[in-house]
Amino acid sequence: MPSWEVPGDHLIPVQHMRPGDHAFVSYDDDEVRWEVVTAFVRLGLAQGEKVILFPDPWLPESEVLARLDFTGRSTVTARERGQLVLSSMRGLIRPDVRFTPERQLGRLSAETARAADEGFTGLRSFIDMRWVPDLHADVRVMMHRETHADALFEGRPYSEICAYDRRWFDREVLYAMDRAHPRSLVERLGTLRTVRGADGSLCFVGEADAGARADFTVALELALSGSAGARRLTVDLTRLHFLSVGCAATLLALAERAAGHDAVEVRCHHPQARTLQRLGADSVSRLFVTEVVRPC
Amino acid sequence: MLTPEPAMSEEGPVDTRTAICLLQRRFTARLLPQLRLLVEECAVREGLAEPRRGEFVLAVDEIAGNAVEHAGGSGRLVLRRVGDELECRISDSGPGFSETVIPELLPGLDGAHNGRGLWLARLVADRFAVRAGADGASGARGAEVTLAVRVR
Repeated sequence: MPSWEVPGDHLIPVQHMRPGDHAFVSYDDDEVRWEVVTAFVRLGLAQGEKVILFPDPWLPESEVLARLDFTGRSTVTARERGQLVLSSMRGLIRPDVRFTPERQLGRLSAETARAADEGFTGLRSFIDMRWVPDLHADVRVMMHRETHADALFEGRPYSEICAYDRRWFDREVLYAMDRAHPRSLVERLGTLRTVRGADGSLCFVGEADAGARADFTVALELALSGSAGARRLTVDLTRLHFLSVGCAATLLALAERAAGHDAVEVRCHHPQARTLQRLGADSVSRLFVTEVVRPC
Repeated sequence: MLTPEPAMSEEGPVDTRTAICLLQRRFTARLLPQLRLLVEECAVREGLAEPRRGEFVLAVDEIAGNAVEHAGGSGRLVLRRVGDELECRISDSGPGFSETVIPELLPGLDGAHNGRGLWLARLVADRFAVRAGADGASGARGAEVTLAVRVR
């Protein structure tokens, strides 16, 4: 069990970040922290968005670039044409030297407009919150910014990840910031998290790959056992980014064997529905697949 | 109008289309999540839209996972743009296998799961082939699986 567990009702994988999303993530490992940022940056560039990176101000730029370019010099072109920009909170608010929420939000709003003018499909920014101690900013002022930033996102092609180092921020601040953000991210690639929805549904979040099959199976078995009295279970896959053939087959097999249930409803996006149908979902009489349209 | 004869080799027609290498990676089980990310990134860049993009990543993962599980825990991926196709070649240095081990029909939900991943990979591919790999130092021939989907 990880030492940092959040409720998970707004948890999503980083691959699901879309324009308008404002997300929290935290880390306490100097290797693991690169997984979310590299995924966010690389997928954003591939989708034609501009990306501004505000890394840990104590890290040398050469290390940041090396981490992003771990497959080779693949972001060089993006940097040369201004699609990928390495910045800092000091640089963003310059020539001012003191952080205020209004100043920072105003600059990010201007950057969003500039990205559109430059022909990009949107702007995404990754902000390592270690800028707070770097600028000697008041944590309470930073928290105010995080809870009053809706105008930056609503109806605008802007998305943002705020990454908090759990070794620096207090647990109370981390919990409050997790709750303050509309989205919270799974910390690592290739991770499967299981949460219960408000309606009692079993929600899988992240990636149900071959390595997660045992956990996927146990969670399903427990949920089926726990819903035997109600004779129905809803399994929500809409926050899964990856559903392996093995996990999909396990879901179908367990539903087929759940003789005490009248219905096992699976809520999922179109690609997962296609996978389930190709693996024989139509032959499982108590299984009902409901497709949910993913927001663009 | 005459159709030109395709160039031939001992293994069949030679693909003369221009190929652009997009990605080359060695992988183990631990690196499969990263591999999926990189393949997805390339697929987005090449314009492969959903749901085909997700199916392509799924198929690649199933083949790579098969190499990890049955061929010594590692493999090598080469992703290329070949004409209007996105082509992925995954090679390993295991005992090798032929396409005949892939079931013709979808395996049932009861019983062993062997072959279901490769069955789906072949189903979603526009082009799919399995051939023996090059002889390795250990004497094992290995296998090379080629999977391609049309981008448009």
